[in-house]
Amino acid sequence: MEDRKVILSVRDLVIKFRLRGDILTAIREASLDLYEGESLAIVGESGSGKSVFTKSFMGLLDANGWIDAGSIIFEGEDLAQYKIEKDWLKIRGKKIAMVFQDPMTSLNPLKTVGKQVQEAIELHQGIKGEEAKDLAISILEDVGIHDPENRYKQYPHEFSGGMRQRVVIAIAVACNPQILICDEPTTALDVTIQAQILELLKGLKDKYNLTTIYITHDLGVVANVADRIAVMYAGDIIEIGKCEEVFYNPQHPYTWALLSSLPQLGVKGHDLFTIKGTPPNLFYEIKGDAFAPRNPRALKIDFVKRPPYFQVSPTHKAKTWLLDPRAPKVDPPESIRVLRQQWEVGNNG
Amino acid sequence: MLKYSIKRLLQSLFTLFIIVTVVFLLMRLLPEEGYFGDAYEKLDEAQKEAILTNMGLRDPMHIQLMNFYKNLIKGDLGESITFRPKVPVMEIIKDKVPYSLYFGLASIGISLLVGVGLGIAMARNKSKFWDKFGTGYVVFIRAVPAAVYFLFKQIYITGVFKLPMLFKIDNPKTWILPTISMSLGGIASYAMWIRRYMVDELNKDYVKLARAKGLESKKIMVRHVFRNAFVPMAQYLPATILFTIAGSIYIESLYSIPGMGGLLVEVIKRQDNTLVQALVLIYSSIGIVGLFLGDILMAIFDPRIKLQRKGGAR
Repeated sequence: MEDRKVILSVRDLVIKFRLRGDILTAIREASLDLYEGESLAIVGESGSGKSVFTKSFMGLLDANGWIDAGSIIFEGEDLAQYKIEKDWLKIRGKKIAMVFQDPMTSLNPLKTVGKQVQEAIELHQGIKGEEAKDLAISILEDVGIHDPENRYKQYPHEFSGGMRQRVVIAIAVACNPQILICDEPTTALDVTIQAQILELLKGLKDKYNLTTIYITHDLGVVANVADRIAVMYAGDIIEIGKCEEVFYNPQHPYTWALLSSLPQLGVKGHDLFTIKGTPPNLFYEIKGDAFAPRNPRALKIDFVKRPPYFQVSPTHKAKTWLLDPRAPKVDPPESIRVLRQQWEVGNNG
Repeated sequence: MLKYSIKRLLQSLFTLFIIVTVVFLLMRLLPEEGYFGDAYEKLDEAQKEAILTNMGLRDPMHIQLMNFYKNLIKGDLGESITFRPKVPVMEIIKDKVPYSLYFGLASIGISLLVGVGLGIAMARNKSKFWDKFGTGYVVFIRAVPAAVYFLFKQIYITGVFKLPMLFKIDNPKTWILPTISMSLGGIASYAMWIRRYMVDELNKDYVKLARAKGLESKKIMVRHVFRNAFVPMAQYLPATILFTIAGSIYIESLYSIPGMGGLLVEVIKRQDNTLVQALVLIYSSIGIVGLFLGDILMAIFDPRIKLQRKGGAR
């Protein structure tokens, strides 16, 4: 992975929102390198900033939000400096496309499904009319819609939820982007459909040569599709690494807590693990490690100084003082120890 | 679609039949003095009875009703009794409709053009100058009684622009003020509704998707938002247009326009039963046809409206 080309590089990004006269810091100096052709999952609880973070790559922040500092380097240009719509039109769809969470409302109810796909094609692929229509039909077929010639003429209300999400994906693919951001693409769908949609996205990634970012709070989704995982908490990426590394050898106490809450890791007869407390109030400045107040294993320094990244392996790093050589030895929860053992056994054998 | 239209048409005819019958029967319950107008005092009982019998008002009720419908099918709505005695009802109405129709259509045209334009400007600049300006206008027009600002207009605008007050058919300058006066209210409601529906649409997810796929905001407004916002308004458009035939009581009397406005009130006061019946028939037909056309228009615009079958959308 190290030798792969970085396609998008975010450095110390700060995003703020004005809400009823107060200023909220949604993203706190987050950094991320996205490699060409990879599939990255950003996980975190509601309000951790994962959506806002990726929306800023496309200039889709709500009107009361702005990029306060930092840079987003894409193809030699700093997207953080883009101010007017004309600049963003070079990026939106053309380079980076997005699939939204709720397929029931993401389509215009009064336009045929085919026309909405065709609109994206005509916008970005430089073809019009019949030719664009034929391409639209073939993309509809690619996303797994049967009888695409007839479905082209139908309206969104004639499609089920899963089918609509396929259409939303078709629209994103029709833009012919380099990066595809999927913002909770399966959250609104039922479980059997979820698996189909993820399978579809994996297939399209290869066929259309896409770099994909999944935003999700469902670790099951992550395990299915991601090469790498970035764990987000209170507007910062606190741990990032290859899928197996984060799953089996997590370093940050928040990642421990997140994994321990998985029902699959619970012990029969015991209560499911829950993370105590609530995420920090982003209206106030956060001191030290944002997770410290909810962390029973927090060190003194966690409340004073914000930890930098500590490298665990060339591909794995985490922002926790526990990785500092001077830190005392702190044992992770039992479920995490079990995971580590499995990991070590797997690596040795 | 065709099946639905026919079904709705038959339903409409049935509604119309009920309205007209009920009104016809109610009219028969009114005191009989009205049929004689000023001559009432001078006639003796036998003469009155003769006149009433002659008019067919002494026939049994169902015969009267049958006769009324027979004439109606032939297109004969009867003659005026007291308003303009012995003049066919259709004649009276025919003279008045063109004025009301002209002013009505002109004002709808202006209202749509200016009102929708203002509404779009308000929605695009939400909470900024145009929105505040438009809201101010809408609140003013809707809250202040029309008489107040019409009076203001009478005094100042006629003076400043040297526009004549009263309507004269051969002087085109006199057509201006009534047309503008009639448009003021329409502009306010179209602006208000377009703004409201557009702001609703703007907050929907499909607008976000359209933005994310790289459509510029002007095109999003035209291709997606405005079109969808106009659908709920389309439903009421045919009825609004048709009702201009009825004229505006206030404005027609203010500028002495010989239109339809106020005719119904006038003939009820004079107890001109045939004219009342004819007008009720016309007004209710307009209402019913207007709603019918509105539903059809809506169904054409909005594919989600399933016309044939009842039940859920999916």
